[in-house]
Amino acid sequence: MTTPKILLVMACLWILVVPAVAGQESRAPAAQKPATVSAPSSDFAALSEAAGKAREENRDGDAVRLYRQALQIQPAWKQGLWFLGILLYDKEQYPEVRDLMRRFVAVEPEAGAGWALLGMSEFQTREYPRALDHLQHARTLALGERKEMAETLFYDVSVLLTRFEKYDDAMALLIGMRKSGSSAALLAEAIGLAALRYPLLPAEIPPDRKEMFRMAGQAALADEAQQQDEAEKLLLSLTNDYPNEPGVHFLYGVFLLNVRPSDGVKELERELQVYPFNLAAKLRLADEYLKEQKLDDAQRLADEVVKVEPDNASGFLILGETLLAKGDQKRGIEALETSRKLRPATVRTHWDLLRAYTSAGRAEDAKREKDEIEKLRRPDAQ
Amino acid sequence: MLAAALLLLSFSSPAVPDAPGQSFASIAKAADQAREADHLSDAADLYSKAVSLRPSWTDGWWWLASILYEQDRFREAQAPFKRFIALSPKPAPAYAFLGLCEYETQDYSAARHHFELWSKGGSPGNDALMDVAAFHWALLLTRAGRFNEALVLLVAKVQKLGTSPALTEAIGLASLRMAFLPEDYPPEKREAVWLAGMAAYYCLAKDFPRSDAFAERLVQHYGQEPNIHYFRGTLLRFQERFDPAAEEFQKELRVSPHHGPALTEWAVSRVEAFRPAEALAPARSAVEYDPDSARAHYILGRALLETRSYQESAHELEIAKRLAPESSRIRFALSSAYKHLGRQQDSQREQAAFLALKDKDYVLAPLEEKLKPPKATGRPQ
Repeated sequence: MTTPKILLVMACLWILVVPAVAGQESRAPAAQKPATVSAPSSDFAALSEAAGKAREENRDGDAVRLYRQALQIQPAWKQGLWFLGILLYDKEQYPEVRDLMRRFVAVEPEAGAGWALLGMSEFQTREYPRALDHLQHARTLALGERKEMAETLFYDVSVLLTRFEKYDDAMALLIGMRKSGSSAALLAEAIGLAALRYPLLPAEIPPDRKEMFRMAGQAALADEAQQQDEAEKLLLSLTNDYPNEPGVHFLYGVFLLNVRPSDGVKELERELQVYPFNLAAKLRLADEYLKEQKLDDAQRLADEVVKVEPDNASGFLILGETLLAKGDQKRGIEALETSRKLRPATVRTHWDLLRAYTSAGRAEDAKREKDEIEKLRRPDAQ
Repeated sequence: MLAAALLLLSFSSPAVPDAPGQSFASIAKAADQAREADHLSDAADLYSKAVSLRPSWTDGWWWLASILYEQDRFREAQAPFKRFIALSPKPAPAYAFLGLCEYETQDYSAARHHFELWSKGGSPGNDALMDVAAFHWALLLTRAGRFNEALVLLVAKVQKLGTSPALTEAIGLASLRMAFLPEDYPPEKREAVWLAGMAAYYCLAKDFPRSDAFAERLVQHYGQEPNIHYFRGTLLRFQERFDPAAEEFQKELRVSPHHGPALTEWAVSRVEAFRPAEALAPARSAVEYDPDSARAHYILGRALLETRSYQESAHELEIAKRLAPESSRIRFALSSAYKHLGRQQDSQREQAAFLALKDKDYVLAPLEEKLKPPKATGRPQ
């Protein structure tokens, strides 16, 4: 995924990353020099200059050696840490890059590219929790308009989110990448994994089901591109080729709900026969049953979801709507209030509560919900 | 979370003596101020200077090590942690931090050694340190092939905190007896590890239908690989479905004919199904293939005890006790064997050890500590 081309882009970011060090190669503050080092500063000046020259002349081996020597004298030399990191990343020496970048971000904590290179190295050394933290942190800092670097970052974050079972967040990011121009070929497997809810990286896909994830991803991409015939063709093949794999009928069912809802319901029911613990399928099905006024079935499924996942805001939302539809105002409002507490930024929950409070004669509470809806609909609302 | 642990740990470091010159005092003060202002890199530089001026300054070593640890600079943090340990009267929590640093720098045997020292010191520290250190220690035990010990630590964590993707992965590795760390096992095994971890987690949570669903997926895709049927058998045994469990262990033996743990657990499932005579053959094979397995000797001893071969039973249980002196169940069985042999004094001794050790299987403490009788809490007589 990460290419030397991206590294070139990153190398060019140097000016953005550590603007303050330009021209300071030979005069790092004395406070950063370890007490045990007594090398004269002229040694450092000569080494740092030679390292920079070697790098500019593409004599990478010499540059690496010289940067290492210079960093022996001044371990906190920012420019040295950065360029040595870049050179070694290109040579796939990821553990050393990781250690260099840890030192780099310690002295330059606002350097987004530093956090990015750190996270990318940790991704390669398979320290995934830390990689995700650091890549996410990099996203909060300035990376400029460097598209290729951003693409690498976003891709790594999204596949890690999938591995940590944050499938919806991963999917949103991947679809966003597609809309921003990332290639379908790059994204297909990653989207397939998130869509079928498997916590694996693309590199971890079992060889016997590579095609399954690719097809699922292509179908999701086709659907996103409004190519519904193509999407259905792929989904049909998927369910025919992999009828007993969890997630497959769910994916087809969700697609069909928008096209032929009654077929969608059947497909979701098939999913629950294959994998009775698919909570996402239960929720979608409960929502459909609610629309069809099959209120007992809807309540049964929503109850099952919130029992297994007491922090599932969508589960409480559907449960609340179902209870209200059944005339159980008190428990309906309670369920909706739980949903609101778990996920305050969902407009649908506030609408439900607005109607329920109004119906219960709780004008003040209803007014509060109305205000909240207006707040959430403002352009600056998250 | 661990950062908070670092800051919340309280050490009874000796008071800093008066500075011989102004420079140490002023540097130490500046270091503390920089740390409190969250200027950690500056603080680390200043602490480094201060401890070079006064190497006996325990707090200085602690803060320097803590900051480097907080910045993920694990290699650099090790020396100050070691200096702190050498100087501090109560260094035990620092053993855990040193172990964590060594884990990160891949000095795994040193890390395991320091986690063991931490454990022998009573595993001090707050919840965050306990969780992180015990988790990494469990990973190292798995890597060393000490799967059951790793699972003891991981299960305790699950029971306390529920699960997480990282914990599921760690449990999956230990359950499938894969002597790897999460960061170095073959990527093509990821799905199997995940499925095993989920099956184990739901089994521990006593959600058996869900556990079975994951276990069946595991068997469906990976049933021809070693350890899969063995693991399935352990899940079924946990559910007290002893006959299907025995079948799974036998299936494992068809995949891996010399699988000592499968032989042992097959024997266990027979004893637990009250058919001890059927346990004898697999248990004897188990001790043959795995002579250093306390559990194999224990279950052979149990089967012999329940088939009234008391002398041979005591012999096997004594071997088991030598291999796992902290196991309460071995002591209980041995007490019973001695009793049948008319060795009343020995029986009583083992009974006392059993009472002292029971319910302490998940306690991280030295054996001598565990064997101590409980302190009286009632009114003095």
